[in-house]
Amino acid sequence: MSLQGKKASKKLCFVTVGATASFNSLISATLHPQFLDALSKAGYTNLLVQYGKDGKAVFDKLTSELDGLAGHGIAIDGFDFNRDGLDQELKAAKGLPENSEGVVISHAGSGTILAVLRIDVPLVVVPNEDLLDNHQVELAKVLEEQGYVIYGRLEDLPATIAKSEELRIRHKSWPPVNSGAHRQARGLAGVMDEEMGFLD
Amino acid sequence: MPPSPLTLLASPTFLLTTAFALLLALTLRLLAILPPRPRRTAPRRIGDPTRLLVVLGSGGHTAEMLSALRQLDTQKYTRRTYVVSSGDAFSARKADEFERGLETRGGGDGKGKGNTGAGAYDIAVVPRARRVHQSLLTAPWSAGRCLWACFGVLRVSGKNGDVVGQEYDYPDLILTNGPATAVIVILAAYILRFFDVGGANSRGKMRTIYMESWARVTTLSLSGKLLLWVLKADRMLVQWEQLKGMGGRAEFLGVLV
Repeated sequence: MSLQGKKASKKLCFVTVGATASFNSLISATLHPQFLDALSKAGYTNLLVQYGKDGKAVFDKLTSELDGLAGHGIAIDGFDFNRDGLDQELKAAKGLPENSEGVVISHAGSGTILAVLRIDVPLVVVPNEDLLDNHQVELAKVLEEQGYVIYGRLEDLPATIAKSEELRIRHKSWPPVNSGAHRQARGLAGVMDEEMGFLD
Repeated sequence: MPPSPLTLLASPTFLLTTAFALLLALTLRLLAILPPRPRRTAPRRIGDPTRLLVVLGSGGHTAEMLSALRQLDTQKYTRRTYVVSSGDAFSARKADEFERGLETRGGGDGKGKGNTGAGAYDIAVVPRARRVHQSLLTAPWSAGRCLWACFGVLRVSGKNGDVVGQEYDYPDLILTNGPATAVIVILAAYILRFFDVGGANSRGKMRTIYMESWARVTTLSLSGKLLLWVLKADRMLVQWEQLKGMGGRAEFLGVLV
């Protein structure tokens, strides 16, 4: 298999749909063969899905279908939800204490977003478009503009894995990502060129 | 009896007029060289020989500066001079490392090609403007020595300056982020510009950019204040929004380091 990085090092993709609303379309999107291929290519070994109280049927059905498809090499686990919060799972996604850092794919609940940003694991936010009055889309968009998260859409979830690898690199390389208007700014080089009269 | 020419020269009216005229001339001249200076109207072609002078302050200043310059395009900035203070071996070593990095950078964008290596940069050492804990009584003396050395650095390049077939005069651009030595370098540049020595001003040489330290969030450093309000660097860059617009012209373009 195309496991990259250190041997025997676990790399976890943790998917969480939250506790309040069901989000079965996210579960289906993450248990899609194309998505698993994307994970495999990026060196992932494990997929853990918090599927919520209504998600068990979908999760079980899809995983049994996937069992027939060999080749992706990802170990898949799931659970409904954890009363004690998701600290354990987030730490596992962070790779603590000795595994590779993975990714968190989350519904756009602000509590989950804050928890993941604080632990600093690459985060893909997928707003639940089925919900009415979806202010969560706004939050996901502004956070993506500021370079903190990736705004994931259900239809192209496999592509977000590559994007999350870029986000990881950007977050790991100093300086912190500039946000908003300054994200694209040419910074010092731009000012130097202006003073020198180099016009691009 | 009419007053003799000599007494006329010594008359208070004449002296006052002369003093006033001088003051006016100095003020006009200062206004002419201090910002906002008009930008270059003629665009510069990439590949024309240019000289960039980078003042490396010390530890953190040096690290910030070299980090901010890590994307430096050697096609545009064909020759670099790094000014370090005497005794600051760290900055000199970092400048060498930085240049080696430019040399080996390569990359598909072509930025890493050419104008690198021993002939493309030099490290100029100037005496410290003021050592830590140095008495204020002797500070003017050491600052004066530093200023004198800076004239030399600005007019010709320093060690490694003996590149055959290439002559460099004043830097086109001076880049600083503090501390004291940066102020002295800019003072030296302004004196040369004030008297337009060798066309320092009329040829549009030695434009100045001051980049305030990333560690300065809500207040400017002393160098920053001096270069904002007194010596007036052409461009003032700050790295925190809280400092944006200081003195009516501090620019915030995000984090630069």
